Amino acid sequence: MDVAEIIAHHILDHNWGLSLGGFSLPITTHSVTLLAVSLFLLSTLAWISHARTSRAGRLLTTLAEEYITFIRDSLVLPNMGTEGRGFLPYFCTLFLFILFTNLAGMIPEMKTATSNISVTAALALCSGGVILYSGLRYHGVIGFLKGFVPSGTPVWLVPLIFPLEVISTVIKVCVLAIRLFANMLSGHMVLLCLLLIIFIVGKMHIAAGVGALVPAMGLEIFMTCLELLVAFLQAYVFTLLTAIFAGSVIHTH
Amino acid sequence: MGVGPFSKQDHVEITTLGTEFAVAEILGTGIGFWLDNKWGTTPWLLIAGAVAGFGMGLYIVLKAAKTMQATKKPLQKADEKNGRG
Repeated sequence: MDVAEIIAHHILDHNWGLSLGGFSLPITTHSVTLLAVSLFLLSTLAWISHARTSRAGRLLTTLAEEYITFIRDSLVLPNMGTEGRGFLPYFCTLFLFILFTNLAGMIPEMKTATSNISVTAALALCSGGVILYSGLRYHGVIGFLKGFVPSGTPVWLVPLIFPLEVISTVIKVCVLAIRLFANMLSGHMVLLCLLLIIFIVGKMHIAAGVGALVPAMGLEIFMTCLELLVAFLQAYVFTLLTAIFAGSVIHTH
Repeated sequence: MGVGPFSKQDHVEITTLGTEFAVAEILGTGIGFWLDNKWGTTPWLLIAGAVAGFGMGLYIVLKAAKTMQATKKPLQKADEKNGRG
């Protein structure tokens, strides 16, 4: 039993190897998961927005309104101020998309697309775009660049401070991607390793394998609950950090 | 919901600082390594990049500490009381 191969098979992305007229189509397990989550969210939210007639529809509409109020009052307004109102749809979409992509990994036979650095990097680039746009929109190009230099900096220090500030903003966006990626990847690796304990111990002796079953499954259930928490937490943290960074660009003082 | 003088936002930012420090160091070292390979100056630019990345990480952490300190009245009061004001 090659443990490394099993872990790699479960964690890594797999190309389905489809091609059209000589061009290989980049249809992979992760891209299919992303598309499935997007379609699910689009269809469900579209249905909720029109389903006021039935009892379940009214309940879901209230739930959706509560969700939007939560994002607005606890994430966007405290960090970005009233200027953040225009960005509310982005934050609502970001939170739901990351949450459902994280949760999709908990369903058997589905993959966690957020444990792929390309996916999280794309999400972080979108957030970087929002941060850049909010700075440019409220301060203009000159004002945005001026915001990188803290007020009260001596003139001779400006050539040193300015690149440092620009790089630190880039690093913050990189950290957004790495944080989500590392959390989701490590969680699923731990889940898999705990399951593999049973088989590794079972190879020594079948009775030992049966003995390892109970503690391994106990840990597995605990880690699965923890993964559910992490799925919510990381979606929340990604959205909150984007709001904080965008707010720090809008309110430079 | 924050603990002590820190808000929820501060807690999230504090937990990010460690990764930011690491990414700054890795970025600096990586750029140094790449330039070394390109210009054949092994290992000087790698060392310079690592030092610059370390400096960048320190700058990020110190700046975050300074901005958090500036916005926290209870923290300033505690510092004054302990003679660190």
